[in-house]
Amino acid sequence: MHCMAGLDRPTSGQTFVGEEDIGSLDDAGLTQLRRDRIGFVFQSFNLIPTLTAAENITLPAALAGARVNREWLDYLVEQLGIGDRLTHRPSELSGGQQQRVACARALINKPDLVFADEPTGNLDSNASADLLAFLRQSVTELGQSIVMVTHDPRGAAYADRVIFLADGTVVGELEQPTADSVLEKMRTLGA
Amino acid sequence: MRNVTIKGLLAHKLRLALTALAIVLGVTFISGTFVLTDTLNNTFTVLFGNIYQKIDFQVRGVAQLGSGANATRNELPESLLATVRRVPGVQAAQGEVGGYAQFVTQDGKAIQTGGAPTLGVSFDPDQQISDLHIIAGGPPVTSDGVVMDAGTAQKYDFTVGQRVRILFAGPPRTFTITGIAQFGSANNLAGATLAAFTLPTAQAVLQEVGHLDNINVVAAPGASKPAVQRDIARALPPGVEVVTGQTVVNEQTSSVSQALSFFSTALLVFAFISLFVGGFTIFNTFSIIVGQRTRELALLRIVGASRRQVFRSVLAEAAIVGLVSSAIGLGLGVLAALGLEALLRGFGITLPTGSLVFEPRTVLVGLAVGVGVTVVAAVGPARNAVRIPPVAALDDRQSGGDASSRRRFAWGTALALGGAVMLAIGLAKPAILLVGVGAVGIFVGVAMLAPAVARPLSSVIGRPLARVLGEPGKLGRENSMRSPRRTAQTASALMVGLALVAAMSVFGASVSRSATSSVDQAISADLIVSTASGSGQLSQSVPATASAVPGVTTTTTVYRSQFEVQNSLATLTAVSTQHLADTLILRMTAGSPAALAQGELLIDSTTAKSKHLSVGDTVPVKFAETGSSALRVGGIYEANALIGSYLVGAPFFLSHFSNPSLGALLLRTNGSGAVDTAVTHALAPYPNLQVQTRAQFEQAQTANVNQILGLVYALLALAVLIALIGIVNTLMLSVFERTREIGLLRAVGMKRRQVRTMIRSEAVILAIFGAIIGIIIGTGMGIALVSSLKQQGITDTVVPASSLVIFLVLAGLLGLVAASWPARRAARLDVLAAIAAELRTCQAGLGASPRLARWPRGRCRLA
Repeated sequence: MHCMAGLDRPTSGQTFVGEEDIGSLDDAGLTQLRRDRIGFVFQSFNLIPTLTAAENITLPAALAGARVNREWLDYLVEQLGIGDRLTHRPSELSGGQQQRVACARALINKPDLVFADEPTGNLDSNASADLLAFLRQSVTELGQSIVMVTHDPRGAAYADRVIFLADGTVVGELEQPTADSVLEKMRTLGA
Repeated sequence: MRNVTIKGLLAHKLRLALTALAIVLGVTFISGTFVLTDTLNNTFTVLFGNIYQKIDFQVRGVAQLGSGANATRNELPESLLATVRRVPGVQAAQGEVGGYAQFVTQDGKAIQTGGAPTLGVSFDPDQQISDLHIIAGGPPVTSDGVVMDAGTAQKYDFTVGQRVRILFAGPPRTFTITGIAQFGSANNLAGATLAAFTLPTAQAVLQEVGHLDNINVVAAPGASKPAVQRDIARALPPGVEVVTGQTVVNEQTSSVSQALSFFSTALLVFAFISLFVGGFTIFNTFSIIVGQRTRELALLRIVGASRRQVFRSVLAEAAIVGLVSSAIGLGLGVLAALGLEALLRGFGITLPTGSLVFEPRTVLVGLAVGVGVTVVAAVGPARNAVRIPPVAALDDRQSGGDASSRRRFAWGTALALGGAVMLAIGLAKPAILLVGVGAVGIFVGVAMLAPAVARPLSSVIGRPLARVLGEPGKLGRENSMRSPRRTAQTASALMVGLALVAAMSVFGASVSRSATSSVDQAISADLIVSTASGSGQLSQSVPATASAVPGVTTTTTVYRSQFEVQNSLATLTAVSTQHLADTLILRMTAGSPAALAQGELLIDSTTAKSKHLSVGDTVPVKFAETGSSALRVGGIYEANALIGSYLVGAPFFLSHFSNPSLGALLLRTNGSGAVDTAVTHALAPYPNLQVQTRAQFEQAQTANVNQILGLVYALLALAVLIALIGIVNTLMLSVFERTREIGLLRAVGMKRRQVRTMIRSEAVILAIFGAIIGIIIGTGMGIALVSSLKQQGITDTVVPASSLVIFLVLAGLLGLVAASWPARRAARLDVLAAIAAELRTCQAGLGASPRLARWPRGRCRLA
């Protein structure tokens, strides 16, 4: 996933985002790619602790020197229900709130693709459900593409398509999964 | 949780404050030096302007040797005064003489000025011309009267009507104080003492009967000044010139500012040393900060920060730290200058203008150097920050790998060797700037190489500590070995400080020994009579007084004066030639001392070599009074600092100098201690003199060297202090970095005392590591310095092992001092809070690293 997201370079093979071979991009190219075309949500939230929630969300835009799309920001904040937390620092937010801020940050530049690496790994089940519902909603309503890595069959069930990986190789695939079918598939693969 | 955050924030402020302190101190030093010397410069300009403000022209002898205020000029015949007064357009003209006159206190001690002149002048009754005006009593009217400057009168409790003894180049005399005088509003002339007599008295006691030094002229109101000057010039005989008062002021001012520029250059050198050491501290702090912020910086890269933005963010932080601390330093510099001014006042040097001069240049240089050093020191760490890959935010792998270490060692070696070569060339030339650049090269190069030896060396240094202190000592030792690069970087600052201290100590010991041995090799006299402070003059009546003492078998008079040889100014030494071998040892390499009696010139071996002279050659010389002639080289003696480079016999010397100044007196006695006492007693009327045995004289020479060395150490102490701040800083950062580890140690039963011991051991190892490398380099530099000065009379090379060991021990103790705060802090860490910090990071899913719990604040605003 690091290679796909332009964080690392493949030692062999190629990685594409859209039509672009990102393995051949230089550092400046990768930086721009990450800034403009890719969003990230991490298991560990990875917010900048010294910035407020609002400042964290607008950071990618600020780095690009671009004007923040006010309406889009308001929409994200409203959808995520973090309007009253914007002036707080990450240490003053709950895990679920932090992860929602991270989601807003990932979406603020309207990226082509959002990578979510175990986004619910550090959340309780309620917060997980809220977050996954939001991600699902942004796919359905906004047409946002999301790649999510997860161990949780219930989380995987929110996706349109599930690819099973074991020890680094693709071992299976499911379309329109449910929690049960994912679990079932995992059981057969594990066996 | 909140508590941990607050502690983290406090720690952050502290870290920046400590980093800034290094720059603050350096810039304080720079701006203090500038403000002080600018203020002194301005003071003298104002002072000279005041003194000469009423004078339109000055008639004086043409410069015979040198130029400007320091030139040697011949006296004018007194009859010239009438000639000048007759020139149309001249309203008033007054002749003046000046020379050496030193007051004696009421309890019989010569009044010392600490370097300022002790002046005797003629009092000018015409207030049209002189700026010296009487504030109590009246002008001197008889040959018995003297006017004293208000500064001396105040400091030594003299009042009008009292008697005062005054020392001259001739015999001393006692006068009655008729008045107390001021210059404008100042009590004295920047620390100089002044005795003003009637003109005839001044001419008599200053040995200028029938002569004048200058004639000061005031033009009539309305007269055309250029025309008056032209008319005066026409009336003057050859060898006499007339210049404007402004010319005289300019000459005096530039002579003073030249002298001051030596002073300020010396101070600035130490200021730059401090800043250089500060640069190491900053480099180290920023390296650690970047290391600790690896994840944060990587995260910024993930969300789209470019390398340039990361680079700039680190440099911007450095620039802000530099700017703020330079500004503070500038302010403190003014305070420092005020303090120095107060110190000068304590020495009796009153400055007529009270206001400090704060030139724009002071601000510009202070800010430029302060910010410059900080930013340059941060470039390295900033480049490391740029190399952090974005993935570093996601996994725990350590960034800033050692991939570049080979290149670093190559660079370090190149820099150190290049620096050594430059230093050697610079010393040989001599070119001070090259020496400085070379030394910087060596220090930076060695600092880059130091990580290679940091691990084994700390291991060796730490072994006895581990043995004595047990487990905490062992842990401290391991901590110091854990990150060789950090250990080396932290120790580097101390290394520079101690290298300079060690170099100065080798230099000082060698100078001391050389001075002692040059006394042994040059002087066989039993007693040496010289002026106590090195200033002032030996009265011409002293040789007769001394040689009349029973038991004194040989008296050798030593004269010193300026002359020109092969068109350059040099000091000429002369000695009386009878029984010279009794008092002075001349180790001849060619020719014979007998040539002195024949009016020939002896030169020392160094001069002979550098000027390619040998016995029998003739050299062109010029004397102020008698003009040009040629001298035959009659012999060559081994170079000796006490004798100087050019030596002639007294009869020859006296035929060229009508007012010879006595340098010293060398006496051979029958060896009895009673004679020493008798000589001292006989010379009691000359309290400015000291009578020393050869051993005492040697001691005094050594004491002089040690005094200067002490001053240099004091100035270097600032650099060492800054290095210590660096150690405190690193230890503080380490303690915070290891919060979890220390918490765990405490949890498994380590006592607070043991935590303190652990941190202290680490500090002592760090300090001794830096000290060892520094002392090795410094000793090398000192030896190089000494060997380059062989021709200047530093013939012996001494490595003062005991002093160096003392420095090493002191460094260890200073390390202990530096550790006390971080150690207390580490010991105070709450076990639960320390582990809670860990728990929190785990909860937040940040992995096992405790670092992110203490992310620094306020450095993320990139856009």
